[in-house]
Amino acid sequence: MAVTLYWMQGGGCGGDSMALLNAETPDLIELLRGLDVDVLWHPSLSNGSPKKHADLLRAIASGEQRLDVLCVEGSIVRGPGGTGMYDTHAGEPRKHLTHRLAQKAGAVVAVGTCASFGGIGTDGEIEATGLQFHKGRQGGFLGAGFRSVAGLPVINLAGCPCHPDVVCGALTALVQRVPLDLDEYQRPLAWYGMQVHQGCVRNEYHEYRIEESALGKRGCLFFHLGCQGPLTRGPCNKLRWNRRSSKTAVGVPCFGCTSPSFPRPNPFFESRCIADVPLDLPEGVDRAHYLAYKGMAAAAAPDRLRQRKNRI
Amino acid sequence: MATSITIDVPLNRVEGDLEIRAQIEDGVVTDAWAAGTMFRGFETILRGRAPMDALVITPRICGLCSTAHLAVAALALDALSGAVPPPDATRVRNLALMAEHFQNDVRHGLLMFAVDFANPAYAKHSLYREAVERYQPFAGSSALGTLRASKRILEIVAILGGQWPHSAYMVPGGVACVPAPTDLMLCRQILQQARLWYESQVLGCTVERWQRVDSAAALDAWLAESPAHANSDLGFLLRFGREAGLERTGAGPGNFLCFGALPIPADSAVRGPTSSGFLVPAGFVHGALNEPFDQAEVVEHVSHSWYEDYRGGKHPFHGETKPNATGRDGTKYSWAKAPRYRRKPSETGPLAEALVAAFPLFVDLVAKLGPNTLTRQLARLVRPATLLGAMDTWLTETTGEEGFLAAVEPIEDGEGFGTTQASRGALGHWIKVEGGQISHYQVITPTAWNASPRDSEGVRGPLEEALVGTRVADPENPVELGHVVRSFDPCLVCSVHTIGPDDRPLGRVVVGGSP
Repeated sequence: MAVTLYWMQGGGCGGDSMALLNAETPDLIELLRGLDVDVLWHPSLSNGSPKKHADLLRAIASGEQRLDVLCVEGSIVRGPGGTGMYDTHAGEPRKHLTHRLAQKAGAVVAVGTCASFGGIGTDGEIEATGLQFHKGRQGGFLGAGFRSVAGLPVINLAGCPCHPDVVCGALTALVQRVPLDLDEYQRPLAWYGMQVHQGCVRNEYHEYRIEESALGKRGCLFFHLGCQGPLTRGPCNKLRWNRRSSKTAVGVPCFGCTSPSFPRPNPFFESRCIADVPLDLPEGVDRAHYLAYKGMAAAAAPDRLRQRKNRI
Repeated sequence: MATSITIDVPLNRVEGDLEIRAQIEDGVVTDAWAAGTMFRGFETILRGRAPMDALVITPRICGLCSTAHLAVAALALDALSGAVPPPDATRVRNLALMAEHFQNDVRHGLLMFAVDFANPAYAKHSLYREAVERYQPFAGSSALGTLRASKRILEIVAILGGQWPHSAYMVPGGVACVPAPTDLMLCRQILQQARLWYESQVLGCTVERWQRVDSAAALDAWLAESPAHANSDLGFLLRFGREAGLERTGAGPGNFLCFGALPIPADSAVRGPTSSGFLVPAGFVHGALNEPFDQAEVVEHVSHSWYEDYRGGKHPFHGETKPNATGRDGTKYSWAKAPRYRRKPSETGPLAEALVAAFPLFVDLVAKLGPNTLTRQLARLVRPATLLGAMDTWLTETTGEEGFLAAVEPIEDGEGFGTTQASRGALGHWIKVEGGQISHYQVITPTAWNASPRDSEGVRGPLEEALVGTRVADPENPVELGHVVRSFDPCLVCSVHTIGPDDRPLGRVVVGGSP
């Protein structure tokens, strides 16, 4: 029996859907076919009439149509004043619709940081929140105790956008009943059990503390240019993007977009430093030890790195 | 006795929260209202942040136009800082934007527009079976090739900028990347592959052969010339669209606006269609006139938008946006403001670009048939043909000899704007900075132009106007309206506006409140 999927877009930019179209091996279409997934609705790709869509929503709500997987992209818009009227569907706050569907879904997947944690708009007047988290705090729209029909908490596939191979991998795991271990923010460890820093082509520059204060150079972006790679869990530099590269590889700092706190309030292109060392150190690192280590590492830096001879 | 009904049509293909209310009498649309149903408040999110943060925040306005938002944010910061990017930085910025357009035009054309040809409403159309075979969602024979080709070309954006969507590699003074000659070589190979696919599946001929199509008669001759032409996606669009009557719907107001895009560096061998110095020239076409564009003539109205009223229109440097959600009472019905150019509702997008550039085929088609759904969609599907040659030249010309990034002083105070053509039309950002922080940010998106509500004088927006007169066979499955709306490639999520600090809770709001 086909696995049924409904894709809901809320307070977001559609970027997760657009990124998903770039999924590789298999292509999205082949993946859905291979897993026997019946996409009941995707706002970008389905061609059913408005009436057909309305009938579908009624059938899911009544239980007549089984819903195995609900994917939600975009935040839950609660503003103004909790009414949700900044984001409506057919005159009704969209959050009501999302709530109804979530009660019927076998599994609920938050695709992207907005759906996972609120993301863009959590501090804005749209009063955005995530499905089961508000930033790093459990709860969110559905509440900490929410469990899907299959007994699962919301699976958070963070990222702005979420890497398409993560979405495909999580769907495959759900369909094939491969267990997914989750971290404390309900992100699968398979993809969020590593730092963005791992696999960065600038790693050697980081190691010896060859740091840049201006863009367009080869050194490390962590110390002055705001890079969050060592603090952020995600697979960007393992999976790469669009088969080719990553932001840090081309000289753009990691903005920490898989983090519950994204977007952070302080400037993206600057590291907040104390005594020339970032205030926010790599996850789990002791400051005193780090200072000693980085001082020694800088002293040990080979000339090929000091002179930026190593290509990236 | 005339039968009069009003239907609500949520049309949210692509990212979008656009709901159309159409009034139908005797099977014909007599009036229409386009309502943006989502508000995201981006400009407020930007206020108080560092100017460079606009490069990270604004691409997230739209996952489809991410590169275009980045490009105009960078242009606005260039203007503020007085930085002049080196010629290779301009080439790299252009290349990423053009790859995004290619991706958009074929994805929209074949995955999002053409899927409506496989709607059961066309069961009696002579080409229905073929339409289902080609475009059935997730299954059509054109779908897999389109998906693959559209993601391949985005690899160019990733090689230059790290990822698509949502990178931030365009920065004031140029770009953060330093592509190696071998990176550019790889980009050329990817481009060549994209061109071969586009020629064989979409055009059915070479780009050069297509570019000789310079009139309505030449288009008919091209279609009849070979089965490869007739059976290509382009040939199928023309054959299906003509039989479905798409040349007779979707006229719109007949005003066409293009902000201009893709500046040609002084040292480049690329030649634009005019002497403007842009591959996509700026301008405003209405009737037989093709006038220069001046951003000072852009204003936004809020008389029919859920914001507190002000008189007439305001330029985005002076724009104000205070919520005034009155539900269906009164005249307001959309979260989108109503942008106007010289007081006129104006259509924007690939057709506007073609008319401003005076491409003979489109000038002739519009002269003979008037603007319409099919010609608008045709302009989008063939736009990549105007980009591929320049992309290849720019990749060849990029050497990095003058660097990719000019030195830039920190931005403390001032104002600036950036304008370009996103995939779906004119896009502008207007920014003011005080004491090193953003104090004012206004965004006007292409969909705000196209899906605008009525203005202070009660004049309909382009899409609303284009819907009037459309014949609808089945109000429960109004596929005809879908074609008209989608020919504008709307992306309503882009219609984002600030609200002031004195916002008050909304009551129950019914979208599409017709007067």
